[in-house]
Amino acid sequence: MAEVGDAARARALGRLERFPVRRIVLIALSAGVIGAVAYGSIKTLTLPAGEAYSASAWRDFIVLGIAQGAVYALIALGYTLVYGILRMINFAHGEVFMAGAFGSYFFADAWKQSGFMDDQPWLSIGLLVVLAMAVAVTVAVLLERIAYRPLRGAPRLVPLITAIGASLFLQNTFRGLFGSQTRGYPKPTGLEGTWTILGIPIQKVQVLVLVVAAVALVALTLFVARTKTGKSMRAAAEDAEIASLMGINVDRVIVTTFVIGGMLAGIAGVLFALTFGNISYFMGFAPGITAFTAAVLGGIGSISGAAIGGFTIGILQSVGPALLLTGINVPSPFQLKDVVTFLILILVLLFRPGGILGTGEAEKV
Amino acid sequence: MGGPLRQGMKAGAIGGSVLVYLAMVGMIAKFDELVLIGTQVTLGLVLLAIPPLAAALAASRPRVVGGRVQRLGPVEGLVAGVAAGALTGVVIAAWLVVVDRIGIDRVRSVFVAVSPALVDVLTFGKGIAAGAAILVAAGAALGAIGGVWRSLRFGLRRPFAIGVGVVLLLAMLQRIVPTILDGLNIERDWLYSKVTRGLTWLGAAIVLVVATAVAAFWLDRRERASAAPAGAGRADTRSIARAIGLVAIVIAAVVLPRLAGSIVSEILGTVGVYVLLALGLNIVTGYAGMLHLGFSAFFLIGAYASALLTGANLVTAFGLVPPRYSADLNFYVGLLIVIVIGAVVGALLAAPVLRLRGDYLAIVTLAFAQIAVILATSNWLQPITGGPQGLRDVTNASLFGLSFRQPQNFYYLVLFFCAIAVYVSWRLAWSRTGRAWNAMREDEQVADAMGVSTSRYKLLGFAIGGAIGAVGGALFSVKVGTVQPGSFEILVSITVLAVVILGGLGSVPGVVVGALVLLGLPGLLSQLEEYRLLIYGGALVAIMILRPQGLIPNVRRSRELQEEERTQDAWQEIFAQKEQAAAERADAETTAATVEEGS
Repeated sequence: MAEVGDAARARALGRLERFPVRRIVLIALSAGVIGAVAYGSIKTLTLPAGEAYSASAWRDFIVLGIAQGAVYALIALGYTLVYGILRMINFAHGEVFMAGAFGSYFFADAWKQSGFMDDQPWLSIGLLVVLAMAVAVTVAVLLERIAYRPLRGAPRLVPLITAIGASLFLQNTFRGLFGSQTRGYPKPTGLEGTWTILGIPIQKVQVLVLVVAAVALVALTLFVARTKTGKSMRAAAEDAEIASLMGINVDRVIVTTFVIGGMLAGIAGVLFALTFGNISYFMGFAPGITAFTAAVLGGIGSISGAAIGGFTIGILQSVGPALLLTGINVPSPFQLKDVVTFLILILVLLFRPGGILGTGEAEKV
Repeated sequence: MGGPLRQGMKAGAIGGSVLVYLAMVGMIAKFDELVLIGTQVTLGLVLLAIPPLAAALAASRPRVVGGRVQRLGPVEGLVAGVAAGALTGVVIAAWLVVVDRIGIDRVRSVFVAVSPALVDVLTFGKGIAAGAAILVAAGAALGAIGGVWRSLRFGLRRPFAIGVGVVLLLAMLQRIVPTILDGLNIERDWLYSKVTRGLTWLGAAIVLVVATAVAAFWLDRRERASAAPAGAGRADTRSIARAIGLVAIVIAAVVLPRLAGSIVSEILGTVGVYVLLALGLNIVTGYAGMLHLGFSAFFLIGAYASALLTGANLVTAFGLVPPRYSADLNFYVGLLIVIVIGAVVGALLAAPVLRLRGDYLAIVTLAFAQIAVILATSNWLQPITGGPQGLRDVTNASLFGLSFRQPQNFYYLVLFFCAIAVYVSWRLAWSRTGRAWNAMREDEQVADAMGVSTSRYKLLGFAIGGAIGAVGGALFSVKVGTVQPGSFEILVSITVLAVVILGGLGSVPGVVVGALVLLGLPGLLSQLEEYRLLIYGGALVAIMILRPQGLIPNVRRSRELQEEERTQDAWQEIFAQKEQAAAERADAETTAATVEEGS
């Protein structure tokens, strides 16, 4: 008698265990998101003519989105490269980006005042990019050497916590060294105004951002695909242990990865500062997380994925709030642009943790 | 030969760079404002002395060469130490000369912290040339001490180190201890100076001698006890000693704030709120092993929910109005609802992310917290949350006519809830649930295979953690009286994480100590406050590298260590093993030392 009761209870418990809570929550969530997106977009697009955005406004949103997407793509590459090899989120990468912007600021400011920047806009921007790269690379390499290398082989949470600490440490180091105020980043007068390309007026800075980012992306792709160092990077990302057995110095590959990540972050720092016009010690946080989202969205570990993810997030961030929220009478929708980013991040991780170009890495997640 | 010298040079170069960093980031000049002993010894001076000392210690540490531990003799140690200390001095002196040549105003236009006050500290007010010479000489002297330190007898150097630590701690507590002594009607002018507020030289010397003697006596007894065979009698005295200690702590926690005045109560109130938050995070991260970076969200939810349920008001152009949705409940009734809300939101957040592990979970929770802050600030939810201005007129939770806005009363309120949370944590840790979490933390797949329903225990962990965090938020709103989104930034999450990590993941006493150190000390010393976040960041890195188990490790782990201790013949032997282990971490330590001093 008692045995029967136990069996029944066990069956009931088993059914309870099998009750797919997670799946139901996920389905409800996806239905809700799709419904909200559709509803918001339709509402916005069917607004009466006086209240709706004009076609040129949408075009500007998209162009801005592509430009900031290029910056995100450059930062996202730093996350993706490091993750590919170390399987760790380099939380402090946003601070490497900030360091690049900060490092070049003092030169930019001096050259603006001496007139050098306005006389030689291209040369000065080229030099600023090089300087920013140098500073960002220094910070990235020190970070790897001091904070991450001693922890190689530690449980996965340990380097992540270290990275969070390093991020806070770097932020406040820059605050201590250079002060906490936001500073205006100068722009050569030659770069103000717009160029008309294919009949579309585009701000000159945005053209510059796109060109530089495209060059950097192509160079990186070629580097990883064609050079011997690139090959060893790919090998280490595939399996670090076997790579070291094959005679690849994995420690050196890791340093190279941080150097490349730092260079791209340095470029991104200057481009970001030129686009938005000011910098502060805290500027790394939001772009850092956004770029990480981009890397996850594209499929972390994949270079082209980071680029695709960057542009996608950039456009979604500039178009999304206006498209989804204006129609349902949300005041000042652009306050919520980071909410859009973070929601995308959460949704991607829930539904497709491998990302757009992911290779079914779900078990590694 | 040449080995000790080279080791010394390497350590000295690192030590010097750390010192330059400390100077440029402004810590030395700022900390110089706090006088610790006499009129000359300031916190800045102590900070200045640490890098050469640490460099010398690092240079003279035992290393493993070819599988054998190699200890330096006194002379070699002295060589390594002096080289390290002197080079540290040379680096900072060279930096000083360079700054002086460039011109301090020009340097200052970029590096804002390089001030004449800093130069004054570094040169001891004696001009650049003399100052540089003093720096090198003092560095060499400190290096000599550090170099021979390891050659001293353990029974001698450990008590002395503890004695110095006690002196510094008493000097740092200069805003509390004198008030307490006054409250107890104890003459204290011999100990603390009325002019500088720091310790007097006489007082410092007496404290040093007494503390060293007590520490020597205590260590000696411990050594004998661990040498004696384990017996029933020993376990008895241990548990009696523990019980006495516990009672003493409880009495101190209840009585001290009354004696130490309302500033201390105010600070301890904040510490208490963070203890509560950290206990919540400790369940999620320490027990269940899930890194949760969104803990500030529960803090926020608790504060807003409690404020809205108990009739807080919005600030608008038309004056104070009630929010669109609000209730006017008693605080304690509202608190029950807040607990339920915290638990439900915690479980809802956990439900979809059950399969995510480690770093992805951390990022999702971080994103969640960020969304919560942005929404609370936004104009969209302004009719409910008050937007950037937040909510006013939060209840003071009065009970029998006692207002808990008043810091001393609030302290007891938060102490009460902390006690409950400690009890809950403690019971959970040793329950079936706690064991399930433990198994999950060690290896999720194995736990799953052994029949632990990982999803259920994850949900439970998040729900309990969320509920405790929400209570922390509700109490915080009572303490401050307003609710503003700025108080719930992501930094709160990281601060709470730092508290848990510093104390030791999964350790309840560790949480309390962590909160006292990370929030109590900066609250007491305004000089520390400015570099609070820098110190948190540095501490997180340093602890993860040097001592991942935290200051007061989890009970289970320390039990294991004690077991080991009993089976060994003598304390010394364990110590020798520890030395060896330390030597094996040789490389890690040098780099870590840099980070540690940076904090």
